[in-house]
Amino acid sequence: MTFNKYIYRFCFLFGLLSIIIFTQSCEKDLPRFVAFEPYSFAGLDDDGGTWKQVHMASVEQIKIDAPTDPNSDAYKNEIAAAKAAIASMTADDEDAVKYWGNNPIVRWNEIARELAAKYNLIPPPNADGTYTLPDPANPGKFPYFPFAHPPYSSRAYAYMSVAQFDALIATWHYKYKFGRPALHKNDGTIKQSLPTSDLPSYPSDGAVVAAVSREILSAMFPLEKEYLKSKSDEAKEALILSGLHVQSDVTAGDSLGRGVAKVLLQRAAGDGMKFAQTPKPISDSIKNAAFVRFGWQWTNQESPVRPVGLTPLFGKVKTWNVTDLVDVRPPVPPAIGSAEFNKAADELKNIADNITTEQRKIANWWSDGFSTTTPPGHWNKLASDYLVKYKLNPLRSARTLAYMNMAVQDAGISCWDAKYYYHYPRPIEAIPGFKGILGTPNFPSYTSGHSTFSAAAAAVLGYIFPAEKSFVDAWALEAAESRIYGGIHYRFDSEAGLVQGTQVAEYTINKAKVDGAK
Amino acid sequence: MRFKIYYFLFLVFLIGTVNLLKAQTPSDALMMEKNELCIALLYQHDTWDEYWEGSLLRENKNIGVLTRNTILPMMAYGITNKFNIIAALPYVTTEASGGQMVGASGLQDFGIFAKYAPYEIKKESGSLSTFVTGGFSLPVSSYLSDYMPFSLGLGTQEFSIRGIAKYEHKSGIYLRGSYAYLHRTTTEAERDYYYADGSFYTTTMDVPSASNAELALGGWLFKKSLQLEAGYVTQTSFSGDDIRRQNAGQPTNKMDMATINGRLRYFPSVLKGMSIVVGYTDVVSGRNVGKSTIISGGLTYQFMLKKPQSQP
Repeated sequence: MTFNKYIYRFCFLFGLLSIIIFTQSCEKDLPRFVAFEPYSFAGLDDDGGTWKQVHMASVEQIKIDAPTDPNSDAYKNEIAAAKAAIASMTADDEDAVKYWGNNPIVRWNEIARELAAKYNLIPPPNADGTYTLPDPANPGKFPYFPFAHPPYSSRAYAYMSVAQFDALIATWHYKYKFGRPALHKNDGTIKQSLPTSDLPSYPSDGAVVAAVSREILSAMFPLEKEYLKSKSDEAKEALILSGLHVQSDVTAGDSLGRGVAKVLLQRAAGDGMKFAQTPKPISDSIKNAAFVRFGWQWTNQESPVRPVGLTPLFGKVKTWNVTDLVDVRPPVPPAIGSAEFNKAADELKNIADNITTEQRKIANWWSDGFSTTTPPGHWNKLASDYLVKYKLNPLRSARTLAYMNMAVQDAGISCWDAKYYYHYPRPIEAIPGFKGILGTPNFPSYTSGHSTFSAAAAAVLGYIFPAEKSFVDAWALEAAESRIYGGIHYRFDSEAGLVQGTQVAEYTINKAKVDGAK
Repeated sequence: MRFKIYYFLFLVFLIGTVNLLKAQTPSDALMMEKNELCIALLYQHDTWDEYWEGSLLRENKNIGVLTRNTILPMMAYGITNKFNIIAALPYVTTEASGGQMVGASGLQDFGIFAKYAPYEIKKESGSLSTFVTGGFSLPVSSYLSDYMPFSLGLGTQEFSIRGIAKYEHKSGIYLRGSYAYLHRTTTEAERDYYYADGSFYTTTMDVPSASNAELALGGWLFKKSLQLEAGYVTQTSFSGDDIRRQNAGQPTNKMDMATINGRLRYFPSVLKGMSIVVGYTDVVSGRNVGKSTIISGGLTYQFMLKKPQSQP
């Protein structure tokens, strides 16, 4: 008996010890950014400086000084300074060089997505049941500016990508105009920790992208100015520590990037976004117009009721490529209570009652709700992965994201035009007692934003990466379907959104076809 | 015998001291005899109409009142007088009175615990006893933990270790304290990006580990047929982020709370081995949790699986 007692005591303590050892050994180390190995570019696009810019008047609209001669003492001194900096690199510096890699487009897109997620929170109600909206003139006063909802974020991504693209076309122009050879060709002894290419080094494309991205994002997310400065400083320092650039490459790039950003921000200031979130009387008149026209109207179902939907006039914001929104506006949705409506409503009720694990997963995978990068951000992530997969150089990468994000923002504008023109009620409003697994957003139902955004993104990605067309189309379809599983859209919302997004993207793809890129 | 019956007070702790999401480690100070089996069926009704968003206590009319009902079958068995095993499997349903989000229901986490009583000092005036409990629980259904506040549980494996000390005066009044470390692994979300004080590019969410401390004062009335107890329990996460303003919670949150509770247990003399338990718990302070009021009740029944061997 005594012996047994000790056995038990031993076994139990041994067991506890095992638990402690086991649990200590499974500490969690989760990825905070997308890891990618720096790679050699699939091509350099020597003629990139001749491609058609989206918004800039010319490649030399922003001027930079000619670089010093490769044989000059000034340049040699710069190389010596870069070597000294490389010689005293810390482990953190090495991590920074690897983190930034040689495609700054991937990282800056990631930074933009994180800011979208950080600011994608809807204002809460006040104690008296009213709501206060973010004030761009006073961004630090709660609720903070911006509320980075899908329309806002689609616009931020578009401006950043277009500015990067236009700035890099100018960069390529200057690189080949001035022809300062890649650093390793000037000095064979410099230690380079990233794959090298024969791309002329002046101005530094990484510095251009850092400057242009920092400026655009600082305007879009004004409370992040300090953070963006620190990221930009780190990126520029990494360019020198990587052994690919000297200070004058970076300084010229910084100047070019800031110049281009300024021009794009002038466009942003006048694109109509500041009027998108209307006061209640205007919102009510839009709602009433739909009721007079169609006999239905959407009303927010939250408690307390939000008096104005999300950005009723986002549909009036200046498009990038669509010439007339009426041309891409979908047909009138089924009348409430019609046979077609009832069929869609029955499908939703049936899904709500019998949702499968697979359907739930799809709804959640594409939910892209509050505190996420938004549906446009989701597609930016997918596109970024392709940039790396196809080893695109920064110019090609910027081109891909510029066209995708123009199409995506245009899709959002077109979708919002339809949403507030038709002002169609959501399933939770039109189907008595209906509940779903996703929170219903604060804007009308028809058409589905996620479907429209996704179809537009997939169309552009399928054009640029033909081998991926079947995948991206399938994802767009799944994204559209996910809203039905989540109970926030009727099937006809999603189907019309897919058609609309595809049509909208055609305008952008037609521009891409003739921009000079092969 | 009757002394041992109230072993199953720990069941009430499962009702009372839980973090509102999942069953808690046995934390009482009693042991089953060798070959003794106890089965129990408990019901817990947890409601809140306010919750802490970070440290801000607020209401949310799009949730209204959140109700969480738990049916908890349990068993415990004495392998020896000093070594017991305990198992539990809760079934949970959740529902909101406001808004248009659908609730959830299903089996939550299967928990198994081993309890060991290493030392006891008995004196005429009273006794001091110590216990160690080790436990493990894991989800048994495909419920989604990343569906706050409706999710059935945290969707994580949990390893727990609890130390318990209890002093009981000969009058039947006792004081008990315990401290537990709850090691939680990770849970799987159904999205591959989430924001928790910065970006995470993974479906895996780190569920913060936590400590749980308890102090309880109790005693017996009416010839040991009625037991009363009052307790104070705190649970503190070692890491985690706050729920952001007007955002939903997520399993990565730092969930803290302090609760007060009162319990009653009655042993009807006509039903040998049977007891009725009733409990009340109130969350008095917290962070990223609901300000719950929990009422609970249930039945326990215990008996010897084998007759004790007669002494020679």
